[in-house]
Amino acid sequence: MSRNRFGRWLIAVPMAALAVATIYPLVFTANVASKTRHEYILDRFSPTESLRLENFASAWASAGMARYFANSVIVVAGAVALLLVVGSMAGFALSRLRFTGSRALFLGCLAALFVPFQVIMVPLARTMDQIGLMDTYPGLILAYVAQFLPFTIFLMTAYYSGIPREIIDAARIDGNTTYGVYWRIMLPLGRPALLSVGILNALFCWNDVLIALLMMPSADHRTLMVGVTSLRGQYSDDIPTFAAGVLIAALPVLLLYLFFQRQIAAGVTAGSTKG
Amino acid sequence: MLVAPAVLIIAGLRLYPLALGVNFSFTGDGDRNGQAVGLDNYAVLLDDPLFREAMGNVWLLVLLLPVAVAIPGMLATFIYLRVPGHRFYRSVYFFPAVLSPVIVGAIFNLLLAYDGTVNTVLGAIGLGPVDWLGDPDVAMFAVVGVHVWATFGMALVVFLAGFSTLDSALIDAARIDGASLSQVIRHVIVPGLSRTIQFVFVTTMIGMLTSMFGLLYVMTGGGPEGSTYLPEYYIWIQQGQMNRPALASAASTVLFGVMLVVGLAQIAVLRRAGRED
Repeated sequence: MSRNRFGRWLIAVPMAALAVATIYPLVFTANVASKTRHEYILDRFSPTESLRLENFASAWASAGMARYFANSVIVVAGAVALLLVVGSMAGFALSRLRFTGSRALFLGCLAALFVPFQVIMVPLARTMDQIGLMDTYPGLILAYVAQFLPFTIFLMTAYYSGIPREIIDAARIDGNTTYGVYWRIMLPLGRPALLSVGILNALFCWNDVLIALLMMPSADHRTLMVGVTSLRGQYSDDIPTFAAGVLIAALPVLLLYLFFQRQIAAGVTAGSTKG
Repeated sequence: MLVAPAVLIIAGLRLYPLALGVNFSFTGDGDRNGQAVGLDNYAVLLDDPLFREAMGNVWLLVLLLPVAVAIPGMLATFIYLRVPGHRFYRSVYFFPAVLSPVIVGAIFNLLLAYDGTVNTVLGAIGLGPVDWLGDPDVAMFAVVGVHVWATFGMALVVFLAGFSTLDSALIDAARIDGASLSQVIRHVIVPGLSRTIQFVFVTTMIGMLTSMFGLLYVMTGGGPEGSTYLPEYYIWIQQGQMNRPALASAASTVLFGVMLVVGLAQIAVLRRAGRED
């Protein structure tokens, strides 16, 4: 019994230490963000005396975070909406409608899942340039959709495979066309999966820096993550404002995590147990 | 047709560029733009110390892979065996996995600075200081360490999902028979989770090859002395900074080859496991 208890402590102490190591970087950054430059230079570690929001205000306004934030919201909203519509239509068709070549299409989709962006970024940039979408919102949105669509289709197909065909047959007897079945039955039934996939895609798009850097290079088109990378150079002598900017960029993700942790975990583990 | 938009997007913007890119890699840059140059770009890659550094770092990642898989595996085991506070640990550990590499990199720039938190803590126990991001022998390990910090939670939840498919009666039976924790792990948990373990190996490797760009871009810029180059960073520099798209395409093709090897290794392991079953 006592050996067992000792063993428990042997595990519990490192685990607690690791939990501290996981949270500390964020706490440190929040602490720095509410110091003045002077306080930071004197002592960056001591807890801040009062919660100051000036640095957040100046990062938001003068460092251009407001603009970057708006760019990110536009692009992420557009990409997620398009991903959900295109992905759920394809998922419905691939899982519940039998047509020639549906199996081959699903396999093609899976193959695309294993083509990383880094491998296709050079020709993709050239193609975007040729069709006039380089450095535009639709161009970046389309790049995100292309990047995350295979994953979206994969999850939606898996989800819709669990919905009984009888429901679809019944809806058809009631006089629905295929589009009617999609719109009135599959879309509402798919809500839990759409929520999970939508949140994950929002995270992926929000957090991306490479695709945004490549597809929207001009300064006033920067997304928030690209903006953060440029912030470092601008504010190298004003770390508290820099830290505030970093936290502003992380805040939406933090909120999503607090409210939708379960959906996020469900999304990233899908496909791991079915093998 | 409901699948038409999906097919158009995937074929046009994923699969077609793949073929186009392989094609580019056999053409020239600059003056020789568009001309067929055979394998010249690949010869340039072989001679480029930066690209060799990048491929050397891929080997380093392969060597570090078991560590990056073992850490979340052990933690998931403890959480599954209901260490006090296991629910809390689960949500705390998973949290960094949802942060952007850019955010993580920016925060760790502060922590790993020469006068930052990590060196202050080390100094307090009489060690260091270490120039984490400025020493060519250390920087790559620092960046990989940060990557593991940021992503072990992802592998952790995958392991936990695997555990939920395990038959807990088996573990109880083994414990009643007097098996120690390490025996339970070796004889019950590892065989029961072989599929999950393989899945984590492959996804962790793919993650290390394709999602460290943000960290490299923010933390080291490939430096010091090119010591933190990875293929994805090399591709970005050749395409975005040096304007050598054909050379970048050749590097992309090599990276795709590496990814294929990872994928094929996965299939080979699955086959062998299948025969043993």
